[in-house]
Amino acid sequence: MSLTAPDSTARPSSLIDPKSLMSIRNLELRARVVVEGFWSGIHRSPHHGFSVEFTEYRQYAPGDDPRYLDWRVFARSDRYFIKRFEDETNLRCQLLVDRSRSMTFGSLSYTKADYAATLAATLAQFLYLQGDAVGLLTFDEQLRDFLPARHRTGQLRNIMLALEKPAEGRSTDVVAALRRVTETIRKRGLMVLISDFLAPLPDLQKHLLSLSACGHDIILFHVLDPEEATFSFPQSAMFEDVESGRTFFIDPAAARKEYLRRLESHCGNLRSICQHLGAAYIRMPTDRPLELALFDFVRGRMQLKHRVRRVLQHSGRSPS
Amino acid sequence: MSFLAPAFLLAGLAIGLPVVFHLIRRSTRERKVFSSLMFLLPSPPRLSRRSRLEHLLLLLLRCIAVVLLATGFARPFLKHAFPEASNAAPVKRTLVLVDTSASMRRQGLWEKARGKAEALLAKASPLDQVALFTFDRQFKPLVTFEQWGATPPGDRLGLVRSRLASTQPGWASTHLDSALIQAAELLGETDKGTEALQKQVVVITDFQEGSQTRALQGHEWPKGVQILVERVLPASANNAGIQLVAGSTDTDYLSESAVRVRVTNASDSKREQFQAGWSGTNGTYIGKPIDLYVPAGQSRVVAIPAPSGNSPADRIVLRGDDEPFDNTVFVLPPQKSQTTILYVGNDSATESRQPLYFLQRAFQPTRSQAIQVTAQQTSTPLTGAAIAAAGLVIVTDLLDAQNAATLREAVSQGRTLLFAPATAAAFTGLGRILGLDGLRAEERRLEGYALMGEVDFRHPLFAPFADARYSDFTKIHFWKYRRIEEGALAGAEVLARFDNGDPAIVQVVLGKGRIIILASCWHPADSQLALSSKFVPLLYSLLDLGGAAVSPPRQYFVGDTVKLITTGAGETASTTTVALPDGTQVRLKPGETNFTQTLMPGIYSIPSALPPGRLAVNIEAAESRTAPLPADELDRLGVPAPQPVPVASTPADRAARLQSTELEAHQKLWRWFIVAALAVLGLETWLAGRTARRSAVPEELTA
Repeated sequence: MSLTAPDSTARPSSLIDPKSLMSIRNLELRARVVVEGFWSGIHRSPHHGFSVEFTEYRQYAPGDDPRYLDWRVFARSDRYFIKRFEDETNLRCQLLVDRSRSMTFGSLSYTKADYAATLAATLAQFLYLQGDAVGLLTFDEQLRDFLPARHRTGQLRNIMLALEKPAEGRSTDVVAALRRVTETIRKRGLMVLISDFLAPLPDLQKHLLSLSACGHDIILFHVLDPEEATFSFPQSAMFEDVESGRTFFIDPAAARKEYLRRLESHCGNLRSICQHLGAAYIRMPTDRPLELALFDFVRGRMQLKHRVRRVLQHSGRSPS
Repeated sequence: MSFLAPAFLLAGLAIGLPVVFHLIRRSTRERKVFSSLMFLLPSPPRLSRRSRLEHLLLLLLRCIAVVLLATGFARPFLKHAFPEASNAAPVKRTLVLVDTSASMRRQGLWEKARGKAEALLAKASPLDQVALFTFDRQFKPLVTFEQWGATPPGDRLGLVRSRLASTQPGWASTHLDSALIQAAELLGETDKGTEALQKQVVVITDFQEGSQTRALQGHEWPKGVQILVERVLPASANNAGIQLVAGSTDTDYLSESAVRVRVTNASDSKREQFQAGWSGTNGTYIGKPIDLYVPAGQSRVVAIPAPSGNSPADRIVLRGDDEPFDNTVFVLPPQKSQTTILYVGNDSATESRQPLYFLQRAFQPTRSQAIQVTAQQTSTPLTGAAIAAAGLVIVTDLLDAQNAATLREAVSQGRTLLFAPATAAAFTGLGRILGLDGLRAEERRLEGYALMGEVDFRHPLFAPFADARYSDFTKIHFWKYRRIEEGALAGAEVLARFDNGDPAIVQVVLGKGRIIILASCWHPADSQLALSSKFVPLLYSLLDLGGAAVSPPRQYFVGDTVKLITTGAGETASTTTVALPDGTQVRLKPGETNFTQTLMPGIYSIPSALPPGRLAVNIEAAESRTAPLPADELDRLGVPAPQPVPVASTPADRAARLQSTELEAHQKLWRWFIVAALAVLGLETWLAGRTARRSAVPEELTA
């Protein structure tokens, strides 16, 4: 499952230009600007149970709890039917944000790390306003800040403070973050992974799989600088890897084709991993308006819900 | 300017490298930080056509450094400075050694050797350095390097021919080892600038088994010297030789009735039947010869009955082989030497407790020596003739003044006197001889006995006892002795001491002679010396010390040095003449005692010696072993064999190349080029550092 970014030229005029948005220095304010006016309904829970919203009837089978028998239908039709309802619960969302040194690259006036922090803050604000529990885990080559998902006063503030810390890590170790999440977060929830994913993929796939197996929903935001996406440097130079410090001479004109091929292959692999796991993959160039990210997020949530439902129905099991 | 190694000039093409580096450096100056290089591959450095060269001065300096280095390595030299005189620089140094040992006297061998030598020298180029030497027991020059160089090239072959024509093989043995070593050392002593020459020793020899090669084993050869053996083969291999069976002295092989000879047949001989017998000067057998059967490679020892006393036979001749050079052995009948010992003392020869009794019995006649002890009372005046005829003078009693003066005169002229006083009073006589009137000795009679405690085995008197088996003097007990004051004898040397530290045997040198003083006499009243096993050897040692007991050897080999010993006062007669076997008279220089011209076998006579003597000189037995040595013998001994020379050029080319090498080595221009290159590189380093510092400042400012 993947969501592609709409063409920036066809961007609705109501959307805020990322450059303008990033010029706001306060992270919380930036997030609030994006979330403002954006409201969606409550999240549906995959858990069926006793709730106010009726879903369907099902014929009684021996073993069903007789409390859920619809006596009125029985009175009318003399048949036993079980009433089913949709359970309404609060979402538990854990934001996993990459703060490695590769995220400090940026060809625009802001870096990928700034953009990723704003995106995370926006999502946190949005979810918090919905009354969902939000947590944060930042990582580079090791785990940095970990705030378990909660919905209480000060949580949002703590998230903002953690996101405002500079990205100082040297390399990216997504796997360690995923392993930590798998080990510590037992309750099912939504895992939002925001990174540039400039790391080998095989280990990532393995840990995403175990995360998915724990019942978590997963959304991947792949943050890319426009220069990374196009590699349109005008002249050759000695290129230095910001993480490893390796330096070698590169002529962009000669190297661009191969670079783009490799990058697309990498992205394609990531996308196919997500498809395999049922995770949502959202590619986020840093010049893309953040409202669209929010929109994609909500859409991704809905699709995930439908997927779960389809899968459950297909297996013939109750979604309880 | 010319170059010795012009190929190195190709390194000058490296001048392009600084230019390329300047262009490459320009294209890689910018640095960009990127998020990750995981999708990128390094691009090969590309040159931009539009790039302009910067830092032209630096580039120029770098190019100059490269050119200077390349030129230096090409070994430049200036040809115009070449001295014309060295156009005749030699290119090869060869020493030709021709064997002139006795075995080369075989039929046709010398002619072949001469032919080979002449052919070899005819091939030498005018630039070569060549010398011609002969060797047998000695290493003799025929044409030296200097003579070769000084002779015009056209006359050189003539010089060699004339020298070879006047040379004939001698009778000496083949000392191949010493000849090769001397030749190699002569070649090794090259002048400066000739190290690169090919140095070769060419040996023209029959390479016989009897050649001495022992010294070649493990010899360290001079670097670059090669040794090439050119063999000459005889027309016939049938050779047998005859030698006296010799022991340590010349009389051992002569018994009263027969002479033992060894007949050796060469290992490649085809003859087995021989005859040997006495012969005179005319070569015909005197009496009946003995038939011998000696298989090839073996030897037989036979006793040939001695000729009758008046027979003219002085040689034993072997017949039956093809080569006569080693078929004669010269034999002299044994000669008994007469030695007299003058004993001056008052004791009786028949009294068995007196010194003279033991002395007379100590000197028993031997086959080669007859020693007579002449006793004389101290009261009888000594004559100079009696002293001169005596090999040793022994005094045991007090001498009067006249006799002491006579003895003093004789000792001063080189005689040896043994002073063994039986009483302390006799020391007065010694004092008279030595001119010390107050000389006294103290009679010491011991309660027990004294032993010989300290012996100087380095002195010739005790040298025969130096071996640990004979050095034990502690079995001789001394009951009494005369204590000598060492201080009273000026210049006295104590040869032995008693165990209480008193001198036992003292030597005093007087003029050319010496006096040996015994503190205790040998007769039983004084000591056990006469009864000990040391007594007789000690007396003979004294005789040797006095020069009386030496019986000179009479058998020599060709090339041996004969030490002429005459009777008299130990001096050679002023006009010693030696008659050679061919009748030639050789007169020795006055005072000369060594006769070295034993160049041919035969009987040498020395009529002027006292008494008139004769010497027999023979060929060494090794010369009869004429079978050739294995071809790889020299390899086995580690002699440097000739290596194939990479000859790809004509002599003229080689000469030119050699000249260039010499000239370049002399001029050494490459040093200046290297120094200049280093200087340019130093300047370049300074300039580059300065440029880098200047360019760094604006970047810091802009940052």
